[in-house]
Amino acid sequence: MNALMHATIEVPTLAMEHLTKSFRHQPALDDVSFMVPKGALTVVLGAAGAGKTTLLRSIAGLEQPDRGRILLGGRDVAGREPKDRNLAMIFDNLALYPDKTGFDNIASPLRIRGDSRAEIETAVKEVAARLRISHILARKPKTMSGGERQRVALGRALVRTPSLFLLDEPLSSLDAMLRIELRAELRRLQRELGYTFLMATPDFAEAMAIADTVILLRAGRIVQIADPQTLYDAPVDRDAARFVGAPEINLVPARIEPGHGLHIAGGVLPLPDRLAALAGSGPVAVEAGIRPEAIGLAPADAAPISGTVSDIEPLGAQAAVTVTAGEAELRLVAGAADLASLAPGTKVGLSIAAERITAFDPRSGTRLA
Amino acid sequence: MLVRKLTWPLAFLMALALVFTLFPVFWIVMTAIKPPTDWNAAPAIWIPHEPTLVNFRTLFDPNAIREYGVGGVSQAATASVLGSIFASVTATFFSILIGLFAAIGLSRYATMSKATPLVILSGRMFPPAAIAVPFVIIFSATNVIDTYSGLIAIYVAVTLPFSTWMLKSFVDDLPREIEEAAMIDGRSRLMAHLTVTIPLIRGGLFATTMLIFILNWSEFMFALVLSYTNVTTIPVQLAKYVTATAGTLYGVQAALAVLAMLPLVIGGFMIQSHLARGMTFGAVKR
Repeated sequence: MNALMHATIEVPTLAMEHLTKSFRHQPALDDVSFMVPKGALTVVLGAAGAGKTTLLRSIAGLEQPDRGRILLGGRDVAGREPKDRNLAMIFDNLALYPDKTGFDNIASPLRIRGDSRAEIETAVKEVAARLRISHILARKPKTMSGGERQRVALGRALVRTPSLFLLDEPLSSLDAMLRIELRAELRRLQRELGYTFLMATPDFAEAMAIADTVILLRAGRIVQIADPQTLYDAPVDRDAARFVGAPEINLVPARIEPGHGLHIAGGVLPLPDRLAALAGSGPVAVEAGIRPEAIGLAPADAAPISGTVSDIEPLGAQAAVTVTAGEAELRLVAGAADLASLAPGTKVGLSIAAERITAFDPRSGTRLA
Repeated sequence: MLVRKLTWPLAFLMALALVFTLFPVFWIVMTAIKPPTDWNAAPAIWIPHEPTLVNFRTLFDPNAIREYGVGGVSQAATASVLGSIFASVTATFFSILIGLFAAIGLSRYATMSKATPLVILSGRMFPPAAIAVPFVIIFSATNVIDTYSGLIAIYVAVTLPFSTWMLKSFVDDLPREIEEAAMIDGRSRLMAHLTVTIPLIRGGLFATTMLIFILNWSEFMFALVLSYTNVTTIPVQLAKYVTATAGTLYGVQAALAVLAMLPLVIGGFMIQSHLARGMTFGAVKR
C-alpha cells in the first residue's frame, strides 16, 4: 500500500458490523451496523430499552454479542477482554469506587497501568484542574454532590487517552442547569483534545446540541443515521419525527390534489413541487408532519387556515398554543407579543410554511417527501 | 432507619424477650462456676456463694473434680476443643472460599438455567438425619470415617449452599458496573473481582464467615455418627459428662458450654462494625 492510500482511506475508530444480541430470546440489538470516525462525537439516541446500553457494553467487551463484528481501529476485537480494548467508559450510574477518594478514583487506570507516582500526580492534577474539581480530590464519593461525582467519573475516563470514549447517559443524574453546562463542557473538551466519543442518551435536545452524527435506535434496530439537523428536518418515519423535537411535531391527515393544492386542516395550501411529485394524476392521502415552529399566526380573515384556540401551555418566554382547525389539532409556539391577544376560544388564522411540511405514508408511517 | 419511640408496653416486651433469650446464658455461666454441691440444689441457687473454677479445671484435668468427692470423668476435653477448632476453622475456610467464587460466578456470569442457584440450595432441603446414615456407610467404605478430612468434607458440603447464597446476595447488592469500571480501567476479570468486588462486600463476607463458623462449631450429629475415637468435637464431648456414680456433671458440662460460647461472642463483637450496610453509598445513583 502506498502513502497516498494511507492518506485517503481513514480507518474508522469504531465499526460495527451486523451486531446482534438477545437476552433470553428477547432481541436487544438487531443487525446493528455503523461507523464512528476518529475525532467525532457520535450520539446514540433512543428511548429507554432501545438497546443503547447493550450496544455500549458490547463495544466495551462487557457483553458478548451473538453475531456480528466489532472493529476497533480496523481490528476485530472478538474475545478481547475489556482491558485490552483501549477504551474508557462512563457508566450511567457512574460506578465510582466508593472506598476511594476522588484522587484515587481518577488515578486508578494509571495505577493499574503502572505509571510512576510523579506521573500519576501530574496527570490527575491536570485533569482535575480542567474539570474544576481540584478541591474535592481528597473526598470520597459519598460526600460529593451529583455534579462533582459526575466530574470525577469524567476525570477517570479523561486521565487516559484511549482510542474511544463510551458515555452511557453520562449526564442523566444531574439537574437541568448542570446538565446543559456539562454537556457544553463535554463537547468543548472533546473538540479541544480531538477525542472520539460515542455517547448514549434518551434526550433528543442533548443529541441535537452536541452531536456530529446521531444514530437513532429503536427496539434494537437502527432507524436512522444522520446529522442532527437532517434528523430533525427529514426523519425517516413518523415515530422518528415524534421522538425528535419539542413540542412534538403535528401529524395531521392531508390530501394532495395535483394542480390544486394541499388540503389540510379545513384549508388549502399551495403545493410545493416536492409534494406534488408524490401524486401522479389523482389525489393522494398522506399524513402531514408540521413542526410547531413552521406554523405562524395570521389575521383570521386573510389566512388560508382558520381555527379556534383550544389550549395554551406556558413554556416560559413562549407558550405552546393548540388550535383546532377543521378536524385537526395544530400546536404552534407563540411569543409573548402574540400571547397577549390569545385565550382559549379566540378565533385565529394560521399560516403554514408549506415547504417545511413532511409527508408520511398514513399506513406505514414512512416518510414520502 | 426506622426509629421508634420507646414506649412502656414496647419496653416491657423487649425486656421479656431479653429475659427469654438471655436467661439460659445467665444460668449456664452461673452453673459453670458452681461447686458440685450447688448443681442440683433445691431450691435452686441462682448465684453461687462460693464460686469456683474447678469445673473449668476438670475440663483439662479430669481428676480436679475429685477434691469435691466426685469421680468418674474419664477423659479430658482438650482433644475435643482442639478438634472443634481445627474442623470448624478449616471447614469454614473452604466453605467461604468456594462459596465466594460460586457467588460471584452465579451473580455475574450465570448463563446456566435460572434455577441453578435454587438447585444448589436444595442440597439443604434434606434433613441431615436422612443423609447421615448413607454417609456413615460411604465413609466406612472409603476409609474416611473417624478422620478430620472426612468430617471437614461433610461440613463444607453442608454449609456451602448457605455461604454461596448469602454471599451471592451481597454480590447482587453491589452494582456490577463498579467492577466493570475496573475492567475498563485495565484489570483482568479475575483481578477486578479480587481488588474491587471482594473488598467491597467484606462486611457481608465477615458476617457470612461468622454464620458458617457457628454452624460448623455447633454441629452435633455428623460429628457424633462419623467419629469413633480419633475425631471429637465440643458438641460431642458435651454429651459425655454423664457418669455412673455422680449422674450428670452439670457444672463441668456448663463450663465446656461457656468455653464453646466464647469464640462466638468475641467474633460477634469483632465484626460488629462491619455488619453495618451502606458501604457503597455514593458510588452510584440509584
